[in-house]
Amino acid sequence: MNKPSSKVFLVDDHPLVREWLTNLIDQHDDLTVCGEAESVQQALDGISETNPDVAIVDLSLAGGSGLDVVKNVRVSRPSTAVIVLSMHDERLYAERALRAGARGYIMKRETTSNIIAAIHEVLSGKIHVSPQMNASLAEKFADGRTPNLRSPIEQLSDRELEVFQLLGQGFETRRVAQVLGVSIKTVQAYCARIKEKLELANASELLREAVRWAERTTAAN
Amino acid sequence: MIDWLKRLEQLPTAMITALTIVLMLLVGAFDYLTGVHLSVSAFYLLPVSLAAWTMGWGIGLSMAVLAVIVWTFVGSLSGDADFSTPYIIAWNAAIQLTTYIVVVTTLTTLRALQRQLEARVAQRAAALTAEIANRERLQRELLEVSEREQRRFGQDLHDGLCQHLAATAIAGQVLSEKLTARNPGEAKDARKIVDLIEQGIILSHQLAKGLHPVDMDAAGLMQALQEFAANTGELHKISCRFECDSPVLIHDPDTAGHMFRIAQEAVRNAIKHSGAKNIVIRLDTLDEGLLLLVEDDGSGIAPAPSPQPHSGMGLRIMAHRSRMIGAIFELRGGAQGGTIVSCLLPTPVQETGREQAFV
Repeated sequence: MNKPSSKVFLVDDHPLVREWLTNLIDQHDDLTVCGEAESVQQALDGISETNPDVAIVDLSLAGGSGLDVVKNVRVSRPSTAVIVLSMHDERLYAERALRAGARGYIMKRETTSNIIAAIHEVLSGKIHVSPQMNASLAEKFADGRTPNLRSPIEQLSDRELEVFQLLGQGFETRRVAQVLGVSIKTVQAYCARIKEKLELANASELLREAVRWAERTTAAN
Repeated sequence: MIDWLKRLEQLPTAMITALTIVLMLLVGAFDYLTGVHLSVSAFYLLPVSLAAWTMGWGIGLSMAVLAVIVWTFVGSLSGDADFSTPYIIAWNAAIQLTTYIVVVTTLTTLRALQRQLEARVAQRAAALTAEIANRERLQRELLEVSEREQRRFGQDLHDGLCQHLAATAIAGQVLSEKLTARNPGEAKDARKIVDLIEQGIILSHQLAKGLHPVDMDAAGLMQALQEFAANTGELHKISCRFECDSPVLIHDPDTAGHMFRIAQEAVRNAIKHSGAKNIVIRLDTLDEGLLLLVEDDGSGIAPAPSPQPHSGMGLRIMAHRSRMIGAIFELRGGAQGGTIVSCLLPTPVQETGREQAFV
């Protein structure tokens, strides 16, 4: 009957938060805290040492972003499910965290009582986000036209791809126009088409996507 | 007249000297032609005064002497009886010379006074310009200091107090779970406490956001405006959209901060004073620079200056912030009513090699 309890690793740069999270989690028989860390490096070392089932990671850490931990764990320890627990607005960061490989996103300010439920949910292989976020993600999915099996970036024309690449390298609109020898208006038209094809809501998302893609392609080369 | 004199003063001394001598000879010729009985001695004053005004007392005096010589010479040419008596010649020449010297002295004194006055005016103007520049710098520094303080305060709230409260909420949750097993009624109270603490976190998070709205990276302004538009729409139950066709990066956090505050103030005005129901915040790249536009469909700009002395303050601060970052601020009525606030940040002349700064 007594199955071994699942191991949870905590990454947060605030000691008080770590302390009480430990108290909260240890209160449940099926969960146990196996370690904690306050920086990116400590977290990566600790996680590879203790081999936890779940890692709860804050986004703002001393000496780096929690997203780095998420990305790293996804690659090096796919069996560890990561839940991001952050003060940051889920509307801005939840999708980003999920794309980086997190299995859940909890805002520190709203869902204290959900932490345990979230841990159980990701342990059973589900994804945990707030109901609002769930709805908004579903909406986004429903909004998109027929899901294209090809990578959406492949749908970009050569010129659009060039614009996308330059944006990813941190060129702003004016510089992109200069480099390609076209007007700013033309670049904006390209941006509009790229946003449409990649189903991005706004220019910030476009930029984020472009930077992410640029990072991926440079890492691949 | 003054302009003409000023232009003359700019000429090289040799040229003015030549000019006065030619003028002197012309007057001499005129004197000769008009005959000795028609006195034209006053005409000699023209070259003499000119020399005194432009080149000072010494040369003025020389010219006066020269004028007397020419005058005497022309007189002697005429063959008049008076000019054969050395005593009369000397007397008349002396009288003439004295008159000229008085004129030359008066003129050079006047000229010196004028120069002094000009120097003093220039000095005052320079002092005033320096003072204005000083004040502007001080104002900018004050604004920056307050901005920096706010940012620090906001960050402390977010990183310190909010985290502390989050830990407290979790502690409350621990308590509430412990109580659930023993006394469900008390557990309910504990959960209530957790709710209250969470509300506290939301409040202080909003406070922190208000104090420190724009993240430090170059894409921060876009993100901050996006969030601000969403929150404003939700809070006031109106439509508030953020539009931005292509990414706008601002590398200087102070500039980004000012742009955000301008948009914030414009939106606040639109809601508070004009009862707008639709607000659009736009960030656009133009050939001339970056354009921030806030358009609303409210009652528009008041035609007369508002009665309360306080009401123009927000506008003044928006204009002031624009000036601080070198932007051009404008407030105008929209084509279909409403108000348009625009702030154009001109493209810096040199802007290369900074593209990587924001990652």
